[in-house]
Amino acid sequence: MLLHCTRVHWDEAGISRWLEPLAARPGELAEVFGESLRETSLSWRDGEIRDLAVRRENGVGARWRSGSEERFVFVPGVGESSVRDAVRSLRAAAGRSALPIRPSRGDEDGEEHPPTAEADRWVRRLLGTFSRHAPRHRFRFRLRTTERRIVSPGRPQAVSLRRLLSVEGRFTAASRLGDEERAFAFHAPDSEATADELRAALSAAATPRDRPAEVPEGEHDVILAEGCAAVLFHEILSHPLEAGGDGSPLDALAGARVAAAELDVSDDPRRLDLFGGYEADDEGTSPRAVRLVHAGVLAGRLTDRAHGGASGSTGHGRRAGASEPPLPRGSNVVVAAGSATPDEMTRRLQAGLWIEEFRGGSVDLAAGSFRLHFPRARRVRRGALSDELGPGWIAGSLVDTLRRIEPVASRRVRVCRALGWCAREGQVVPVQGESPDILIRRVAVKAER
Amino acid sequence: MTPPRGEGAFAALRNVLEARAPGAWELYRKSADSRELDASAALRRQSARHEEGWAARWSESGSLRFAAATGPDELRLALDEAAAIPSAPEEPPDWPGPPAKAAKAVAPTAVASPTEPPELFDALASALSSASRGEARLVGLSMRRGRVEERIGNAAGLDVAQAQTSLDGLATASARRGARAHESRLFFRCDASPSPTEPDVNALARRLADAATLPLSDRPTPFSSGQWLLDPSVAAALLATLAPALRSKRPPRRAGTGPASIPVRIVDDATKDAPFDGEGVPTRRVVLFDGGEWTGRLEDLRSAKRSGRQPTGHGVRPSFRTPPRAAPRRLFFEASDPSPAAALLARVKRGLFASAVTAPVRVDLDRDRYEIEFTGISVVGGRAQGEVGGARAVGRVSELLRRIAGAAEDRQFFALPFLVGSPTLLIERASFE
Repeated sequence: MLLHCTRVHWDEAGISRWLEPLAARPGELAEVFGESLRETSLSWRDGEIRDLAVRRENGVGARWRSGSEERFVFVPGVGESSVRDAVRSLRAAAGRSALPIRPSRGDEDGEEHPPTAEADRWVRRLLGTFSRHAPRHRFRFRLRTTERRIVSPGRPQAVSLRRLLSVEGRFTAASRLGDEERAFAFHAPDSEATADELRAALSAAATPRDRPAEVPEGEHDVILAEGCAAVLFHEILSHPLEAGGDGSPLDALAGARVAAAELDVSDDPRRLDLFGGYEADDEGTSPRAVRLVHAGVLAGRLTDRAHGGASGSTGHGRRAGASEPPLPRGSNVVVAAGSATPDEMTRRLQAGLWIEEFRGGSVDLAAGSFRLHFPRARRVRRGALSDELGPGWIAGSLVDTLRRIEPVASRRVRVCRALGWCAREGQVVPVQGESPDILIRRVAVKAER
Repeated sequence: MTPPRGEGAFAALRNVLEARAPGAWELYRKSADSRELDASAALRRQSARHEEGWAARWSESGSLRFAAATGPDELRLALDEAAAIPSAPEEPPDWPGPPAKAAKAVAPTAVASPTEPPELFDALASALSSASRGEARLVGLSMRRGRVEERIGNAAGLDVAQAQTSLDGLATASARRGARAHESRLFFRCDASPSPTEPDVNALARRLADAATLPLSDRPTPFSSGQWLLDPSVAAALLATLAPALRSKRPPRRAGTGPASIPVRIVDDATKDAPFDGEGVPTRRVVLFDGGEWTGRLEDLRSAKRSGRQPTGHGVRPSFRTPPRAAPRRLFFEASDPSPAAALLARVKRGLFASAVTAPVRVDLDRDRYEIEFTGISVVGGRAQGEVGGARAVGRVSELLRRIAGAAEDRQFFALPFLVGSPTLLIERASFE
């Protein structure tokens, strides 16, 4: 889908000149980041729209960094006068000569544009989808368009434009023993295929099921299917390999074999078909795919400009918005396909659990542990899917879990559209991933009572 | 033509809204300045932020709409966008008029711009090392001093302004014992009126040391049930999770057996913090739970309209970006006959002291269940016996409240993210795993 860059008009050369005194010494970096955000959100309750809210935000963040010292300034607006205010304050904070005050040219926050019809179009589409597949529902819908622009002396200006769609909530589905309430989450960039994909995801989520039994607690062999292994790798690889973190158990294992040689996991922001993709990161760096685990060996780290060292940033400097400085963050976890069919996977498992979705997870880097919540699972007996099981948790050590992944993965790779937003240090950024089915031995499972 | 800003823009937007929704609109403006200092071994970051937020709610085509923006011009565009989407009908709330008795608004100009927050990293690092006998180290400390000015106007003639200052922080500590490691985080707010004072570094260090080092013990709970002494931070975390019940249409299950059996009330009272809520309704004290009964609930304008009750001054705006909703503002346990914390400890014959939570508290009000994972110390005969690395208390919320047997004098407030206060609480009986 073609998105037009409409809001942020900057004199790149002029802003670069304002920043130059802040980046004149070796090791210094300075940049200005501007964001224009448009968001429509609303609640759907059984076909009715409520709590409609429209948000339009403009902001400029300016940053200077030298070694371990950093100064950051945020001001509202995204016009030239806002940029000038931000740089003036930044230069004062960094102890540099003041930027002269100049009257605004009145450009302020760009041109006024007629309201976008995108949200309205989506509302009409979703009305049909929800009424057909989940007529009783409480969903929250959000359509967010962000335009980001970054200027830094000596680097080309970067522009990033994204429109992201999220549907989250609960709906009533028919199960074999009566109605049951199920959670649903879908996050995707807005594209021609998104509506069809959402329809298919909702239809699959509404499939009739048996009433679940309680998950048996203890250690089980587990298959993570339908792409949900991306959530696991997001927690146990992406977060620990974000530079600037402190005390991750993977810090001391760079170059070491941590998993079966068949395992390849990357973080790839260039995948614009995934929710966490972007053409330029929030420091203006063109991103590159980073191999986190290559042939079972711990291979790379996710860096921003401050943590890139001699090899430079990998293009993972990300911010929740203009009011926050960038942090090295993961984007899209991509796990390479294997060669097994789903039947081969279940046969290999023989007995254990089959999990297709996670709803939330966390990692404790200091303790080297993680846990993920699953709303449902299936028991696998004698290599075949059997009982429905209720909600629970899987948990374990990062390093042990990597070692317990079997050297087999399915040939079919699925995008995990339920994975969408990730919070770290209060900053929430879009993320996603795709994965084949993977098999992990002896995973600690706990029931949610 | 240069568009009007500030004062003029507020008046101009009032006119826009009155033309769009005669007699059925509300306009909110927020201006915030903050200074932040983030310190760690590797980085020292100073941040200065100036934020502007504008928000409007109005009734158009029979439904209530909301728009927010970072400037008045953007807000006008957002109004048009929000009006273009069909929405379910909803009667507008009864907008409050000007306060009958002039509530004491804080004139925004009387509050100074925020200065740099105090530099406490080295002092806290040293105090933490000492409090943990060298086992824990300070990973990071963020301190933020802020000032917020708000103005609220509506179609009923309300036009009030207020200002608040704050000083809050986040400390992160990491501890290691052999192969075991644990990281803990502590949000704190320096809570003093009229202006916040610096935090007590030694008290912070002790709390951080406990939260970081106690989970390193591999000792499980020695009891499957017993008395349960809750540190103020644990009791506050539990109280915070009860917030949905305080604004629920359906009150939670009856908790008490008799009016005098429970020595605490649950109260929300933010009168010291701000004269109005985020909708311009005067702040007032509300007793929510007393004598074992749920006695009140929190109402904003919308919920009050639906329920036919009066708003209680609890229309909370966590940000200008979202519409106000009924929520606690300064929620706390209020003890009717508090005793020293040491006296509560002496009453523990056999049980656990919960020093810090180790996972988010889970409460299911529909099923009347709670689950708290915590770290702490086992207590026998009023004396500490040994560390308990991790324990889980599970049970019924209604029984938990009924079993509160004592409260101490040491009430503290925590940002969770709204202010929640609790003293040390003694629970007569609980089940542990």
